[in-house]
Amino acid sequence: MKTSLTILILFLTAAGVHAGDGKYEKAMKKNLSKIDAAQDIGSMLDIANGFERIAFAEKDKWLPYYYASFMYVLSSYTDTTTGKADSYLDKADTFISIADSLEADESEIYTLKGMIAQARLQVDPMNRWMKYGQVSSRSFQKAMELDTLNPRPEYLMGVGLYYTPEQFGGGPVTAKPLLEKSLDKYNQFVPDNDLMPTWGRRLVEQLLEQINEKPEETPGE
Amino acid sequence: MKIIFTALFCFIMPVLLLSQTKISGRVIDSENHPLPGANVFIKDSYDGASSIEDGSFSFTSEEEGSVILVASFIGYKTKEESIQLAGADINIEIILEEDAKELGTVVISAGSFEASDENKAVILRPLDIVTTGSDADIYSALETLPGTQQIGETEGLFVRGGSAAETVTIIDEMVVQNPFYSSVPDIPSRGRFSPFLFKGIMFSTGGYSAKYGQALSSALILNSQDIAEQTLTAINLMILGFGGAHVQRWENSSIAFEGGYYDLAPYFNMVEQRQDWDTPPIGLEGSMNYRLKTSKTGMLKAFASVSYSDLSLFMENLDDLSTKNYFGLRADNYYTNLSFREILGQEWTLFTGASFSLDKNKYDLNTDKVNQEEILSQGRISVTKQMFNNSFITFGGDVQNLIYKNIFDDLRSRIDEVYLAGFLEADIFFTNDFAARVGLRGEHSKVLGKYNLAPRISLAYRIGTFDQLNFAYGKYYQTPYKDFLIQTTDFDFENSTHYIFNYQHIDDNKTFRIELYYKDYKNLVKGNLFTDPFIQPEVPFSNNGSGYAKGIDIFWRDRETFDLTDYWLSYSYLDTKRDFINFPGLATPAFATPHTFSAVIKRWVPAITTSFGLTYTFATGRPYYNPNNPEYLGDKTKNYNNLSINLSYLTTVFNSFTVIFFSVDNILGFENIFGYNYSSDGTVRMPILPTSKRAFFLGMFISVGQASPY
Repeated sequence: MKTSLTILILFLTAAGVHAGDGKYEKAMKKNLSKIDAAQDIGSMLDIANGFERIAFAEKDKWLPYYYASFMYVLSSYTDTTTGKADSYLDKADTFISIADSLEADESEIYTLKGMIAQARLQVDPMNRWMKYGQVSSRSFQKAMELDTLNPRPEYLMGVGLYYTPEQFGGGPVTAKPLLEKSLDKYNQFVPDNDLMPTWGRRLVEQLLEQINEKPEETPGE
Repeated sequence: MKIIFTALFCFIMPVLLLSQTKISGRVIDSENHPLPGANVFIKDSYDGASSIEDGSFSFTSEEEGSVILVASFIGYKTKEESIQLAGADINIEIILEEDAKELGTVVISAGSFEASDENKAVILRPLDIVTTGSDADIYSALETLPGTQQIGETEGLFVRGGSAAETVTIIDEMVVQNPFYSSVPDIPSRGRFSPFLFKGIMFSTGGYSAKYGQALSSALILNSQDIAEQTLTAINLMILGFGGAHVQRWENSSIAFEGGYYDLAPYFNMVEQRQDWDTPPIGLEGSMNYRLKTSKTGMLKAFASVSYSDLSLFMENLDDLSTKNYFGLRADNYYTNLSFREILGQEWTLFTGASFSLDKNKYDLNTDKVNQEEILSQGRISVTKQMFNNSFITFGGDVQNLIYKNIFDDLRSRIDEVYLAGFLEADIFFTNDFAARVGLRGEHSKVLGKYNLAPRISLAYRIGTFDQLNFAYGKYYQTPYKDFLIQTTDFDFENSTHYIFNYQHIDDNKTFRIELYYKDYKNLVKGNLFTDPFIQPEVPFSNNGSGYAKGIDIFWRDRETFDLTDYWLSYSYLDTKRDFINFPGLATPAFATPHTFSAVIKRWVPAITTSFGLTYTFATGRPYYNPNNPEYLGDKTKNYNNLSINLSYLTTVFNSFTVIFFSVDNILGFENIFGYNYSSDGTVRMPILPTSKRAFFLGMFISVGQASPY
């Protein structure tokens, strides 16, 4: 009798444990693991939707909102044909605002705000470089102030500079120091927990490879 | 034992076999098109999936009982539906409705051109204003749009047969009494405000909203920039002078100081001027701009500017060619504008503002001295309430106190006006494709002792994704010009009635608009003004004048067909006659001509980071007054032609982002004539010409220490 009761209790407890704990972490990790493989709009929006569901269900966790926003930014870069980039970025804006209201003064949030501004600029560079160049710069500065060990602001600034024409102080030569600083920080970066953002390192490495492969240009003025 | 085992079975198995319901279906829009990528999920749970290419979706949920199924997708209204989960498969078709706000649906736009970064369906961007025309002046840029006339000898926007006095300039919802530097006969003045101050420009060539008034023809509505993004310092060096600005940004506020000094003497030495200058124009100006975010949604703006200018020249005396008339002008101007905007709760927006301006002009006309002083104080409040379906209603009021003092030698005159206005306007979106703006404006003038009530209505009907039909009707009242009020106040308001109809096509890269209009003028003031040639013949004061203006405006803009090239073409046809001031009857006024055409082309050359621009303008001859012709205003000047070019070269100098701007006006040297001045006996005449055959401008704008965004 006693044994059966024990088994009964064990079964019921096991069932209870299965239903509640770790659900959030599991769902988050599942969606995070899909990000690298997502190459087309459909997959990216699907992951964004996944994070959106977690965000709405949990309500008070900023990370799912952050990642949903992040996926919309990636979507705006990937979808260059349908003209929906601004709509994706509107959604990215909405989500990052909610994340910001849940977790004030978070360096990664300001980093992503800067990335959203960069993406806005890309949609119509001729008309938007003045406004969004300044907006992204401000966000990255703040992100660095909030966490000097965060490698992502300098990564994004480096990428931005790399693709800026040389006449405006851009190009590989000026981008290189920022990218190298960023790589240093990546090498030493330890996330606070295994759901915090870790993306970006690979692109920094790739860009630095490209820059180092080029023969040294004769120095300009 | 067996019983316990069975009991265990009955308890445990249901728990382990947690009931799963399969939910599947399709997400489509109201026209049965599939919507891939929509998010379909159970509210407050993780369970859900994205719809795929054909709109179908499928997922399972362990929730039970009554739950809410949510479907959301960019550009569409999120839908929620109650469903029961009890294990049995559910198949559901979800139809989503377009969300008006997201798609920026039908926009009320009859008779107006908007330049802003915020609205998708705009025809111009603020940067277009800066890079069009030869002098980075807002008004010059607007003169390349249809509906405006080319009146080169004086400043102002002459719209659809109306004089410059019939256009009002509004900054942050408040009237600007003198948006131009002080007027000099036959020489056009610049606008006071740099186009860089504004984030949005709405130029209405007719049919403007009930929120504004006191302009028979058109309204130029300017919205100033919000909080500055970054701290920076800028230096401007120009052929006309130099200036600088410093912007400081804090967490929730920004302040900008700007100043400039200009002196045209060196430029006049280089480029021969047709006028005989004594003191070429010199001036000093400064402004301050403060922005404070009072809350997440609130903004306080304060702007103040001061300017001082001095000039004198000798003008031809046609009655005695051996002497000249001396004209000297010293002008001081103070302007301040304070406004506050806040969103209250979910549905209300509040705007309040106040402004003050003081304009002092001291004229030396030969031996006469004239002092003019104009003081305008105004306050305004406006409240907007959101209603169903993105519709909203706005109401508010204006109060203005205008004091005008004129001292001609010993003769003093003064006008004290108190102007009150109230307005009520509703923007109603009946469907995503049909919207109406209906408004009423009431005004009272103390000086006239009269009031008026003006109804206005605008309709917009979307007939295709990028195609729209628009219609506007409105009544517009204006208090007679102050030079008349000085002589008598026994007048009524002048008024005009607008009827406008247009078709437009606006997509990401191409814009086409054709607009037909009819303006009926009534109660135009008749009488004489002080200045020649209006002193003779003597005409008694009354409101017996009238007139009409009708025509067609066509606009075409294309940013796509030619690589890296943006161009637009405008054509205006205008047929107008009026009987006002001292006209003996209906005649086409000197500021109207039947055909006007402008072409603006801009091309960006990435290899040398330079933008090239070209503007060509053509207009048929304008009427001018010839005392020897019995037909009043029966003579016409020859046609007007002007080709101007400009270039902007972007670079960095000493680690600072720099723009070098160069332009030449009338590069082909057309001999344009705006009209003629006659002697009192009509035997001598002189053409009114541009100030020089060709004009050029060179400037360098430097953002100190800001080589790149980062």
